[in-house]
Formats: sequence, C-alpha cells, structure tokens
Amino acid sequence: MVVLAVFMVLTAIALERAVVKRALQAEEDGLQLLIYSLLAAIDRDQSGRSLTVSADRLFEPGLVTRNSGLYALLYDQRKQAIWRSLSITTDFPAIPKIEIGDWDFGIVQHQATPYFRLGFAIQWPDANDRLQRYDVVAWRNAVEYFEQLNRFRQTLWAWLIITTILLLLVMYLVTRWSLLPLKKIGLEVKAIEDQQQSGFEQDYPDEIAPLTENLNILLSREQYQRQRYRNAMDDLAHSLKTPLAVLTGLGDQGTLGRPQIDTLREQTDRMNQIVSYQLQKATSVSDIRISKPVDLVAVLEKLISALEKVYQEKAIQLDRRLPSQILLRMDEGDCLEVVGNLLDNAFKYGKRRINVTALVKEDKSTLLTIEDDGEGLADSEIEQILNRGTRLDQATEGQGIGLAVVADIVESYNIELEFSRAGLGGLGVSLRFQAA
Amino acid sequence: MRAIVIEDDLDIQQQIVERLKSEGFAVDSTDTGDEGLYLVQEYPADVAIVDLGLPKMSGLEVINQIRDEGNNIPILILTARGRWQDKVEGLDAGADDYLVKPFHHEEMMARIRVLIRRASGWSDSRIVCAPVILDTATQRSYVDERELDLTAYEYKVLEYLMLHAGEVISKTVLTEHLYDDETDNDSNVIEVFIRRLRQKLDPEESLKPIETLRGRGYRFTLERAEQS
Repeated sequence: MVVLAVFMVLTAIALERAVVKRALQAEEDGLQLLIYSLLAAIDRDQSGRSLTVSADRLFEPGLVTRNSGLYALLYDQRKQAIWRSLSITTDFPAIPKIEIGDWDFGIVQHQATPYFRLGFAIQWPDANDRLQRYDVVAWRNAVEYFEQLNRFRQTLWAWLIITTILLLLVMYLVTRWSLLPLKKIGLEVKAIEDQQQSGFEQDYPDEIAPLTENLNILLSREQYQRQRYRNAMDDLAHSLKTPLAVLTGLGDQGTLGRPQIDTLREQTDRMNQIVSYQLQKATSVSDIRISKPVDLVAVLEKLISALEKVYQEKAIQLDRRLPSQILLRMDEGDCLEVVGNLLDNAFKYGKRRINVTALVKEDKSTLLTIEDDGEGLADSEIEQILNRGTRLDQATEGQGIGLAVVADIVESYNIELEFSRAGLGGLGVSLRFQAA
Repeated sequence: MRAIVIEDDLDIQQQIVERLKSEGFAVDSTDTGDEGLYLVQEYPADVAIVDLGLPKMSGLEVINQIRDEGNNIPILILTARGRWQDKVEGLDAGADDYLVKPFHHEEMMARIRVLIRRASGWSDSRIVCAPVILDTATQRSYVDERELDLTAYEYKVLEYLMLHAGEVISKTVLTEHLYDDETDNDSNVIEVFIRRLRQKLDPEESLKPIETLRGRGYRFTLERAEQS
C-alpha cells in the first residue's frame, strides 16, 4: 500500500517535470523561430549606418498588434534599441551581454509580469563592410503559460489522488477477499479448539481445500486414536480389576489362614494401587488446547450433590461461596477427578462442616478453596500423600492414589496446589487455575 | 434382608453372593442387566448391587430404568473404572453409593448396611425403639441394656420389623426378605420366629412389641426414637 502510494507520487513528479521541460522547450523553440524570421526581415536602414526590420517582410501578427504579448527589439552595440516591434507599449530593460552567436533563454520578471526572453547576438556588416554587433531580443508574456501549467498541475494531482485512492481501495478489497478463506480457517480452528466442531466444515477454494481436507483427516485420526486409547484403557481397567476383585474377595472369604490372607491382601492392594494410579494417569488428558471449556461451578455442584448422597449420614453442613459460572480450559474428566478427590477427602475426614469457595481473581486466575473441620494433616503427611501409592490410612478406601492422581493432573495443567490448616480447623486445600 | 446382585463376572458374583448369604441375606443374582431389571421389578428386595460394566444393557441403563419406574430400592454400584466422571454419572443416574473394584467385602457390607438403614430412615447404625436397641454394625440387640441371645433368623426378623416399625408387614413380605427362592418358605416358620422373639424381647409380656393383625401380618409397635 505504502509502496504503491510512493510509486504514484514519484510517477507524478517525473511526469510533471517532463511536461514542464517540454513546454519550456516549446516556448524557446517558438521564440527562436521568431528571431529567425526577424533576422530574415532585417535590412540596412536608409542611412546605411544602422539596421532596421522591414515590416512588410514580417509575418508574425503578434509583433504588429499592440500589447499582443509578443515583443521584439533590436539593439546596436551601444545597447541602444534601434528597432522596436509595434506591439511594444512599455520599455523593456536591456539584456546582459551575450557572446556572438549565443542564445540566451530565460524567464524574467518585468513589471511584476513573467516573461520568456530569448536573446541572440549577431554581427552584421555596415556600409563599410565592417562587422557590427547587434542583439536581437524577443519577449513573450508568460502569464498564460504559468496559468496553464498550474491548471495542468491541479488536474494531474487531482487525478493522481483519485486513482491512488481507487487503486488502494481495490487492492484492499482484493486482499481481503483473497484472505477471506484464511480468516474462515482461523475461526474454524478456534471452534475446533473449543470443541464446538470436530473438523473443518466450510467450503474452501480449490487452492486451500487440500489443506483443510488433510487437516480434517489428521483431526479425525487423532480423535479416533484418542477414543481408541481411552477404550483400550477402559478395557484394561476392567480386565485388570476384575481378577483383582476376585483375588481381594478370596482374601475376604476367610477360608485361608490368617498369614495367607494378610499376604494376599497386601499384594492385591499394592497391585490395585499401581494399576489404578497408572490407569488414572493414562486417561488424564492434560492438554488444554483441545479441551472444551468446563464450568467449574457446575462440576462442583455435580460432585457436591453426589457426595452429599454418599455421605448422607454424616449430615455435613456445606457452605459454598460460588459465582454462577467459572469457565476453565480443562478436560471435564480431569476437572472432576481433581475436585472430586479433594471434595471426597473433605467429606471423608470432615466432621460436620465443609467450606467451598471459588472466585475469579483480578488477574483472571481462579482460586478454589476446600476446607474441612477434620484432623488436618501434618506437613510430613502431605509430603507423603503426594507421593504416589503412599497410603496414610489403610482402612480408608481410595485414599492412597486419590491425592497422587490430583497432584499429577494438577502438575500437568500447571495448576498451583496448596495445603494449609483450614480456618475450620481441618485441612484446607487451595487450587489456583491459570486464566483461561 | 433380600439383596439382588447384578454382576457379569461369575467369580465376583459368587463371592458377593456367598458373603451376603453368610451375613444372613436372601440373595438373587444374575449376570445380565435384563434379568437384573426383571429381578428388581419382581422381588421386593432391600438392596441391589449393580455392576456398571455389564454387557449389552449397561448398569447405568438398569439403574435409570429402575428409577424411571419409581422404584426407590437402595442401589450400590460396582465399577472397575475409578474415575470420578463414572462415579458421578452412576450417582446422578440414581445409585446411592459406589464401590470401586477391587473392594474388600467388609467395606461392601458396611455400605450395604448403611444403605438399608438409610432407606428406612435411620442414619445411625443403632436402631432404637425404646427400650429395644438393635446395633446393625455388630448385629447385637438389647432390651434395657440386657443383651438378647437371638439366632441369625430371629435377628433378621427383628431387624426387618424394627426397620419398618409402625408398618404392617405381611408374612409373605417377611418370608421374601428372609429366604432365598430355593429354601422351603413355610409361613409357619415365621410364626415360630415371632413367638420366640416375643418371648425373648418381652418375657413378662409388659411391652407387647410385636402386634399380630389377623390375616394382614405383624407390626412392631414400639415407637422409633427421634434421630439424634
């Protein structure tokens, strides 16, 4: 755009210069012709000592019409005007010295009026055949020339500006139009990221269609793989956990001796922990780019109503301070997993009260705090609990891997996890989610 | 108490059934959702244990259908997938509690007892109809601090009547909740249990805790203590 504008201006300047030069040349040529015709009409005067111009041999009507704008003078070597054209009504100043045979052309201001002036020095033999010097000078009023030049300049620049603007407009429209498909692609990519659609759905011009088609193939392959992976993990979970359940049940049946039961339990519990932990870890998405935004408040409400059902007899009094919606860039399953485990612990270890607070901070990050009035945890216990597979309380099911899974997911999403002593007396857990 | 077990892995199913029976439950079991649904519809059970990962008709569908029919039977779900998404889904569909496989049988029994008590409106493991107290966790019973010496069946009858204190319980219902199909359920046996229970609970015949309504059944007359 800028290049085009500069180019147009430079073109106009060059054009104008060429035109001015050409016009000046034309004026000079015209005056030269006039001088030649004057020279042709020069003759000795009657005295024979001087020269004059015989009017009957002068074919230039401008020279015989008064104030025509075209004037001519003939000077002798003493710079005395020995002939003036009939058109002259005022005095013209003498011209500076010119070498014999030289032309002197210029634009001269005379009585506040611009004139073209051409001077020419000649030698002419006198009666004694001695060469005498004479100057022939022609003047032409240049007012009209300058007026024309100005008109030309105005027209030139006006058209130039109009064409430049039109050209720029056309260029802009063409660029916009040709980039339209790319803009469309950008919008669709955003929609795919937000999981509002699974691939590129719009029609694209032939130049771009192969790109979107290939991307679609890539996307569907990726989705297919992801789904297959999840299914495989589910199958694996099922096929590993069922025999584990049988083994665990065997240990609970009491048909074996005490030492065998203990060993069986210990080993199956360990296997279960490893299997559960690895499976949970494997199914965690941890890729915020392809995740549809999840509403943290909806997740909290869902979990709270589920847990209130499970822990009904504890009659926990849960105080929640939640806005109507907080959107996070996170896989819903992962969000449920993190918040579910933390809330479950609060329900499990809390005695009567739980506080759940979620708010969006000024820097757009989200702070979720879950507090209970249970026993709380010592620093060393927190350290231990975050390490995978460590069980604080063998009797409480699911405790071991729950927080380890939380720690894992939280780390992969770059969420800050902090444990503290809650205002209620028990454990306080806070999660800080980065701005979506 | 009658329980229905819907679990497609026969080893696990058998283990659960055995454990329940050893705890005095009458148990019906199946490995498909269709049949499970039929059992729940046809038998007045006190609890259903449903595996979520059933072939064909999934556990979730079974639960949805049970709830759609307005059946409030307590449901404990078993799931191999321990993700919260699955747990929430199951609880949302209408299950009352969940167990992630593998689980210990004590844990399962504890949860089942809680569900049954909760269904009859008791939140404590001690069911109190003063002066009779039943501790479902230890399966012991007391009258005014005096511990009763009950047989397993006597305990089951007392537990059922006390959980439904004030309601009229027919002999058929009692039989259904106490016996498996295959057992010979002679209603005379119920009468024997009731007579023995009366003697043990109220040797001086001053309380009259169990009332007989001719042709209709029995009613536990002592009022429930207010929930603490």
